[in-house]
Amino acid sequence: MQAFEYAHPRSMTEALPLLGSRWGETEILAGGTDLLSLMKNYVVTPKRVVNIKGLRELRGIRGTPEGIYIGALVTLEELRTSQPMHEYPALAQAAAGVTSPQIRNMGTVGGDLCQRPRCWYFRSGFGLLARDESGRSLVPQGENRYHAILGNDGPAYFVNPSSLAPALIALGAKARLDGQNGERYVALAEFFVIPKSDAERENVLQPNEILTHVIIPEGAWELSSATYEVRQKEALDWPLATAAVALKMQAGKVASARIVLGHVAPIPWPAPEAEKSLAGQPINEATAARAGEAAVQGAKPLSGNRYKVQLARVAVKRALLAAARPRSIGAKGGV
Amino acid sequence: MKKHLIGRPVPRKEGRAKVTGQARYVDDLVFPGMLYGATVRSRVPRGRIKGISFGEGIPWHEFTIVTAKDIPGENYVALIAHDQPYLADGAVNHSEEPVVLLAHPEKYLLEEARRAVQLEIEALRPTFTIEDSLNKKEIIWGEDNLFKSYSVEKGNVDEVWARADFIVEGEYRTGAQEQLYIETNGMIAVAIPEKGVTVWGSMQCPYYVHKALMALFGLPADKVRVIQSETGGGFGGKEEYPSMIAGHAALLAWKSGKPVKIIYDRAEDMAATTKRHPSRTRHRTAVSKDGKLLGMEIDFVIDGGAYTTLSPVVLSRGTIHAPGPYFCPNVRIRSRAVATNAPPHGAFRGFGAPQSIFALERHLNRVARAIGLTPEEFRRRNFIQPGQTTATGQVIRENVNMNHLLERALVLSDYHAKTARFARENSGQRRKKGMGFASFMHGAGFTGSGEQYLASVVELEATPQGRVRVLAASTEIGQGTNTIFSQIAADALGLDYDSIEILKPDTASVPNSGPTVASRTCMVVGKLVEAAALGLQQTLVGSGYLPEGYTPAGFERACKRYIESHGPLKSSSQYQPPPGIHWDDATYYGDAYGTYAWAVYVAEVTVDTVTFEIEVNDFVAVQEVGKVIHPVLAAGQIEGGVAQAIGYALYENVVWNEGRMFNSQMTNYIMPTAVDVPPIRVFFEELPYSYGPAGAKGLGELPMDGAAPAIVNAIENATGVSIHHIPVMPESLMEALAVTEKAVERA
Repeated sequence: MQAFEYAHPRSMTEALPLLGSRWGETEILAGGTDLLSLMKNYVVTPKRVVNIKGLRELRGIRGTPEGIYIGALVTLEELRTSQPMHEYPALAQAAAGVTSPQIRNMGTVGGDLCQRPRCWYFRSGFGLLARDESGRSLVPQGENRYHAILGNDGPAYFVNPSSLAPALIALGAKARLDGQNGERYVALAEFFVIPKSDAERENVLQPNEILTHVIIPEGAWELSSATYEVRQKEALDWPLATAAVALKMQAGKVASARIVLGHVAPIPWPAPEAEKSLAGQPINEATAARAGEAAVQGAKPLSGNRYKVQLARVAVKRALLAAARPRSIGAKGGV
Repeated sequence: MKKHLIGRPVPRKEGRAKVTGQARYVDDLVFPGMLYGATVRSRVPRGRIKGISFGEGIPWHEFTIVTAKDIPGENYVALIAHDQPYLADGAVNHSEEPVVLLAHPEKYLLEEARRAVQLEIEALRPTFTIEDSLNKKEIIWGEDNLFKSYSVEKGNVDEVWARADFIVEGEYRTGAQEQLYIETNGMIAVAIPEKGVTVWGSMQCPYYVHKALMALFGLPADKVRVIQSETGGGFGGKEEYPSMIAGHAALLAWKSGKPVKIIYDRAEDMAATTKRHPSRTRHRTAVSKDGKLLGMEIDFVIDGGAYTTLSPVVLSRGTIHAPGPYFCPNVRIRSRAVATNAPPHGAFRGFGAPQSIFALERHLNRVARAIGLTPEEFRRRNFIQPGQTTATGQVIRENVNMNHLLERALVLSDYHAKTARFARENSGQRRKKGMGFASFMHGAGFTGSGEQYLASVVELEATPQGRVRVLAASTEIGQGTNTIFSQIAADALGLDYDSIEILKPDTASVPNSGPTVASRTCMVVGKLVEAAALGLQQTLVGSGYLPEGYTPAGFERACKRYIESHGPLKSSSQYQPPPGIHWDDATYYGDAYGTYAWAVYVAEVTVDTVTFEIEVNDFVAVQEVGKVIHPVLAAGQIEGGVAQAIGYALYENVVWNEGRMFNSQMTNYIMPTAVDVPPIRVFFEELPYSYGPAGAKGLGELPMDGAAPAIVNAIENATGVSIHHIPVMPESLMEALAVTEKAVERA
């Protein structure tokens, strides 16, 4: 790890001026579960690390008339076990999908959304887009078993690693980003972007901004939601494919649906065709399978990840069937 | 005089120090004025070194810099062949090959400096696969890319094909595997030209390091001292590579005049140090219609990486275990260890046997199916019996009863009822359940004449207080050496557990009891501990100080009186082969091992045929290991070995990118955790072995051999698809299941 200056601000007013205006100069430390390994492997080499754990305003989950405010420092474990989350099974299940208790206890909501891709090339120092000298990506014919099957027209082939983003997007959540000139709100669906160069990032956050809160809009508790992850192994690993769904049900039929896939594209990947296929339908084996089919319609597997198409399709189907099951705790909506 | 410790779960000898944090691992040791050392490695798999340049912005004058030119003695790691340099000189033969060493007091600056050294290497065409090496696409080692080949002949294989009712062929492959000991490799060296070299570190084999350092520095034995620090796991991964790290630390210490510590981080440890040899095995088997093996032709090849290291002996064990615990009158085994431009592969629990046993136990299921027998019935008809001979002509003299082990394992796992039920219930289910088993054995101790060459020695010394010290180079690496040696010595002498002390392995004070490898510590070295203890007792009895039926207090009085009148009270014991053991290195014929541990393992799995998820739900491990010295440690060895083998079968996929390990992090090299491991139910059969301490055999490696084929056999039982390589990844399972993208999930 390269030596760095360490800052421990006590308030947002102290914290924001400590951030640099260019990527790479400063890094924000919360749980550290991703940042420390990035630094140890020299993938990032910040001159200054700003620890935001002292910012009390970023803690806690509270209800407001606009919706539920989740502080960026809320840990995944707090999220998983908090009472309000019983109303949002997709989110609680996504937090539980981080199957290491150590990571859940240290890792934060903000960190989960801002963590860097797990792409082996990126982590081995080939850069975010893993290009060779001629500018061609090494991924499409390389070690791509865990790479994107959707949204992979280039130049990025990594998958978004966030566990929570698909569920939050399905629930219509937005992010609050604070900078020295004040705050702005961005729908989480617009937060993630596909970078076009190695100098860009995977989201719209500016280097001198902090993601401070995630807001689940009022009324989202009415939705029937679920997250389903397909994984090779039970613990200490990222899923191979995830689907989060949030359904508005009326008289046993789908009035509206949000379906978002995770770990299959450089950004959490919405599936509008699948959503459309469910309009006015009940959720059953057949409609869920059809939606799964529609979700992967545009999939273009790389040389070594054809199996992920199947996993994504199954994840959608199983998430839909799970969402349609009556909830055991705090059941609202459902069929 | 009482004997009461063997067979009981006494507390670990060093357990208190470990759980209270008092045990000192190498990275806990800090010497005044100590520097940190780092290794600059080639990123090119094969090439010629054209230049080394030192980048800007680093105060290079503060650094100790060592290249091949600074080596005072021989630039090779003395082991079997002398082909592996300590530092590449002119040519590089694998990525991660060490080229330059750096030392500096400041760890962080050191890492920046390491990254600022540029190696200019003219790339040559590398060889990465067993096939390319065998086809001699490039000659990268010696004249033919072959480190070693063996051929074993029994009977006449050529004449069986014509009269065989069935001939079954198959090819099987296994991947590399990382040992993943908890403590990464590390060493500290103090080296002063007039005084010699001393190293402290994490290791399995102090005398291997000792021999290597003597050659590297051109020093006599008494000027080189190797001391084992507390060691957090080895699994073979600390058998040969510590010689490399010790040499590097010592070279930096020699040049700087200061103590130098080198500790590998996990990524460096995974990428640069040895892993299990990848393998390819081809079987051609002749069988009669009544299900008897008539002939076996086995072609076994392992990828040794760039240098010889231990490949000849890994190959040897893999070769001898290739025909398994079966009797076959005609056997031909051809085996080869080939060179590639990967970092050298090396010792790992099982040592060649997990590879060849995986192939055999998968193949025999294929053979059974071809002739219409169940896997268990086919094996029953072919298990080796007492009096029969192995492929190397070894007559089985012990009362081996594989049939009994098989029946016990099948009953304990409820195999018959479950296979019948799963066959009924699987139809139409996307989650399919299956049962599979493997039958196998593992030879304890060095192969062939190895133990005679080692001629290991153990010494015991008694103090005037009646305490007894065990002096041996056998290392405690977490497996329980200290505990079982104490049990063996205490019971032989009729003393309490606490009156035995185990001296820390230090080449300046302990004799060479051989390396801590090959499932030999309990059986071979433990027997020497027992013999030396009995020798000590005889000396005291002979002196007239120790009465018959003595008490611990009587022993103490006898020691005191003996030492007062005769001086130090010591006893040593040297290895003698059991009577009637013969081995011919030239023909590869004879008694390959003094004895074997025998086992049958059964796995129950669930396979999701839609998401390709595989779970191991239950595991039964039945084995005959002679007398069990410590039931908890022994069961722990079996459980740990099975867990490691579950990783080998299902998760641990070393991905190579231009000859470098691409996933050298624990976030992308996936190993099983507690939730991925089923209950492992361990059952021992105890048939005392006459030449082991209290009848014990070796068991440390055994559990690594059979779990992977049992699991893959269970996957076949569940799904009907036959998989011939491990690890079984979701994508390979998908291929095997031939799922098309149009497949629709059922049920």
